[in-house]
Parts: sequence; structure tokens; C-alpha cells
Amino acid sequence: MSSVPPQVPSNDAEETIEAIHQGRVDAIVVQGPDGPRVVVLDELAEPYRILVERMSDGALTFDAAGTILFTNGRLAELTGRSREELVGRTFSSLFAGSAPLDTHNSSVEAELTSSGDRVPVAVWTTGITIGGLTATLATITDLTIHRRAEEIADAERFARSILEQATDAIVVLAPNGHIMHASWMAEEIAERPLVGRTFSEAFPLDGQMSAPQNMLSRVAPENLDKLLATKPFHGVEVRLSNAKVAKRSYLLSAGPLVNDAKQPVGSIVTLIDITDRKRAEEQQNVLVAELNHRVKNILAIVQSVASQTARRSSSLGAFTSTFSGRVKALAVAHDILTQTRWIGIGLSELLQAVLAPYRYPDEHRVVLAGPPVMVPARMVLPLSMAVHELATNASKYGSLSNPQGIVRIEWSVKDGDPHWLAMSWHEEGGPAVTVEEAEGFGTTLIRRVIEYDLKGKVDLHFAAAGIRGELCFPLRDGALSAEQVGEAIRVS
Amino acid sequence: MTDHEQEGYNLRLYVAGQTPKSVAAVTNLKKLCEQHLAGRYTIEVIDLMKDPALAQRDQIVAIPTLIRQLPEPLKRIIGDLSNAEKVLVGLDIEPSIAGIGTKS
Repeated sequence: MSSVPPQVPSNDAEETIEAIHQGRVDAIVVQGPDGPRVVVLDELAEPYRILVERMSDGALTFDAAGTILFTNGRLAELTGRSREELVGRTFSSLFAGSAPLDTHNSSVEAELTSSGDRVPVAVWTTGITIGGLTATLATITDLTIHRRAEEIADAERFARSILEQATDAIVVLAPNGHIMHASWMAEEIAERPLVGRTFSEAFPLDGQMSAPQNMLSRVAPENLDKLLATKPFHGVEVRLSNAKVAKRSYLLSAGPLVNDAKQPVGSIVTLIDITDRKRAEEQQNVLVAELNHRVKNILAIVQSVASQTARRSSSLGAFTSTFSGRVKALAVAHDILTQTRWIGIGLSELLQAVLAPYRYPDEHRVVLAGPPVMVPARMVLPLSMAVHELATNASKYGSLSNPQGIVRIEWSVKDGDPHWLAMSWHEEGGPAVTVEEAEGFGTTLIRRVIEYDLKGKVDLHFAAAGIRGELCFPLRDGALSAEQVGEAIRVS
Repeated sequence: MTDHEQEGYNLRLYVAGQTPKSVAAVTNLKKLCEQHLAGRYTIEVIDLMKDPALAQRDQIVAIPTLIRQLPEPLKRIIGDLSNAEKVLVGLDIEPSIAGIGTKS
């Protein structure tokens, strides 16, 4: 044994440091402000030990050979093995694939084996020294929770974007009837932010404008909120008092919103704007009724034409020819109406269509002259019939029955309320007109349509030089401008 | 017999309350002295938890620390004294002679 000098020799100091380093002591004396103080080393480590045990990540240390020295309780849970089983195993044996042995202070994803399953984890490692030994400290984070959280967050974002993009007004109500989420359209209708408000506050129902069978509008607001938040119902037509949508109709529906445990956590309420759909339905109903009316009308006209023609026809052959001509005229008039979508047609265009057979091959035999005039749809049929009668007569007995004669049709509009249309029919160059011919003429039909259907006046002169007819009737829808006539023609 | 044995061993053990190594050091020291220095030793156990200022006397930094006051020269052994052989060497005690001879 070497002799040691008294007092504190330098090698004693080294011995002290080495003893602390090697863990041969469990307390040290430190100089505090009030003199020496004893610090128990285990107490220093205690907070860290508690933290490591409480942390939600798995934690472990392993030596240079990869042998596990320590694990926390969470790693035991993650791997499905006890701590005693884990200590002494190799770090690599915890993983399904290759183990991330050195991640250089960053997280690396791997798969942990756990009771036969594979658990996605993020592994973080760092080198440490324990009692002079080189070791590795690792933390293992269970990514299933993170991934689930990410999925939930994605789903939440997705649901939110659906809600925000929806073109219908959609709100999510809490069980107490307060709005938790609202679609863009919902806030557009209400013209204010909606989260936190009750449904009835955001969308007051218009009791007076709603359908009489709609009980909802008579429910007290607080009861309505409760009803919407708790009871499912589908498609109740309502109107809202919100100024922006006062005249629009909505279909109100509510469906429960349940959590994973199937417990109700509120409801989804939708307000679908059905104004256009209703309008289209109404229009359809009007159209069907109109069509019905017109079919009945046309049948009545055909019946009337048939009986009149029969009364005036000398033979079956004459009846067939006249009747067929008149039905054709009706068909032409109907074509005009269909092509112009029942808007009406310019007078010149109407005359050209009705008189087309008589202007072939020489269109100069029928001269048309007058300003642009719009003939309303309801006047197309009677006027066509009258013109057809005049033309048929001209082709049988009048100026269109020989090669030289012509018909001059001129018209003008007389101001007034309503405007009146004055149209003259002058035949020139035909054979001399006889009284017998006048008798056989479709005068009755012309008078009937002009005086009865068009509420106008008609004058027919059977002059020897040619028939002269003056037709005059009110344009109840008024004479239209050239632009409007042009528009009607373009439509056709 | 050596001079040391005649003079007897005056030992001072610094501990810190009931820490595991303090308790182990007291136990190990008593056992070792009974085996090798029976009748020729005194042990003074100083608990620095109760009076930390006493650490200054022997400039104690680590606990437990054993100080051999007598015989001189002063020696110190740090740790829980679980390695008996190392302690005997540190205290200059001859195990083969002392272990048997002092028992009778």
C-alpha cells in the first residue's frame, strides 16, 4: 500500500469523481447558499422516471449489441410483452421488418410486431452514455392513433368542404337547436354568420305564405328548434321570412346525426330551393290545360267548318275539295303557331305562308304591301281561314282563275286603343264577277271569323272588275315595332 | 500483531439517511469489522442528512464515504463497501491473519 498524504489528496478527488460516475454513490454533498446540502441522486432522476412511465410513447434503451436494458410500461403495452420479457431481447426482434437502429435524431417509420399483429410506429433514436457504456435511447410512437386522427381530420375537412360547397342551404344543429356548422348558401340566405344561432332565429318560417297544410309554421320557434334537432322528417314545403328569399319556396328536411356509439349528437337540416321546380310544374300544368283547350277548340272549328261546308256544297266532290282546302289552311295556321311557339307572326309572313300555293310559280300575282305588323297568336287561325277563303275563291272564280289576274293585298295600322288593322283585298284582271258567284262564296265563313272571332268588320264588294274586300279588326295586343316582328320571325 | 492493530481502528462513516447505498455501507462495514477487527475498532456513523455541515470536516463530496482516522495516515473509501476485499486493502487490514486470529 502506498502511503497517502493527509488532507485531501488529488487522487482522492479523482476517486470521488470516478465513484460518482460509476454509480457507486447515491448521494452527494453540494454547496448551497446556506452551506453544504445533501442531494440524493435517485431523487434527481425521479421526475424523469415518472415522465418516462407516464409518456404515451414507448421508450427503451439498448446497448451496443442491441440488447434491451430498460423499457417503460407503454412499450410493454405496445408490444404485448411484459417488461421482464423485453429486457434482454434484442431491439431488432421487436420489428416486423428491418429495425431502425440509428435514426440520427429524426423519426423513421417501421412496423412493430404486437401479439401477431403489425403496428405502424415512428421510431426515434439517439446515442447516450450510461455508466461509461455506449447505448441508444429510443422512443416508439404508435402511429395508428395518429393515422386515425389524420383520417378523422381528413374526414372532417372533407365533410366541411361538402358543407361549404353545397348549393343548398345546409346547417348542422346541436341537440339544443343551435347551429354548429352552416353551408355557404345557408349564410347567403340568412345574410349573416349563423354559428351559435338557433334555426328559427336564422330562418324564421313565413306562416302566412306557407302551404295551409303545413303545420310547421304554426309551431312555436323554440319547439321548432327542438323538433328539428331531434326528430327526422322529410320534405316539408316552407317559405322563409328572410328578406332575400321572401318569394321562394323551400323543402325543409331534417335527419339525425349520430356518433360512433349511435347516440344522437344533433341533426342535419337542409333547405332545398324548389321555387324553379314549382314554377316549372305550374307552367307544365298551364301548358297541359292550354293544350287541352286548344285541341277542343280546333275540333270545334273543324266541326263548324265541316258543317258549313256541307251546307254550301252542291255535291260530295265539291264538299271534299272545299273541306280539304279549309282543313289544310287550318294546318298551315297551326304550323305557323307551332313554329313561332305561339308567340305570333308578322302579317306579311303569315300571308306568304297561307298564300304560298297561289303565288306559285309566279309570286307577283299576289302583291303584298304594308308596314311590319305583329299578328298575335290567337288571331293567326281566324285570319288564316279568312285569307284562305278569299284566295280559294280567287283561284276558282276571281283574278287567280286566269293567267293574267292579280290580287293586291295592302294593309295599314290605325292608331287607337287598341290599334286597328285595316287590310284590303283587291282583285284585278280576272273574269267578270257574276252574282251567282257571290252566292257560292264563303262569305259566311269570312264574316264569321272576322266579326265573331276577331271582333272586326268586313266589307265585300262583288264589282264586275274584281272582288274588293275591306277587312278591319282590332289588334288587341297592339301593333308591334319592326324589331319585335323581326324577333318573332327569327323565332320561327 | 502490527502497530495498527495495537492502536485500534477509528473509523468514521458518512451516510445520507436511509439511501440504499448508505444502508448497505453501514451493514457491510459492521460485518467486515466484526470479522476482521473484532474488539479493536470504533465506528462513528455520521448522517449528513441531519447535519450537512459535518461534511466539511473531512471534505466529503460523495456519500457513502468511509474515513479511516486512525491509524494514520487518513484514508478514504467511497462506495457501499460491498467489495470486502477492496475495503480490506484500502484499510490496510490483512484478511488472512485478522479474519481468524481476532475471533478467539
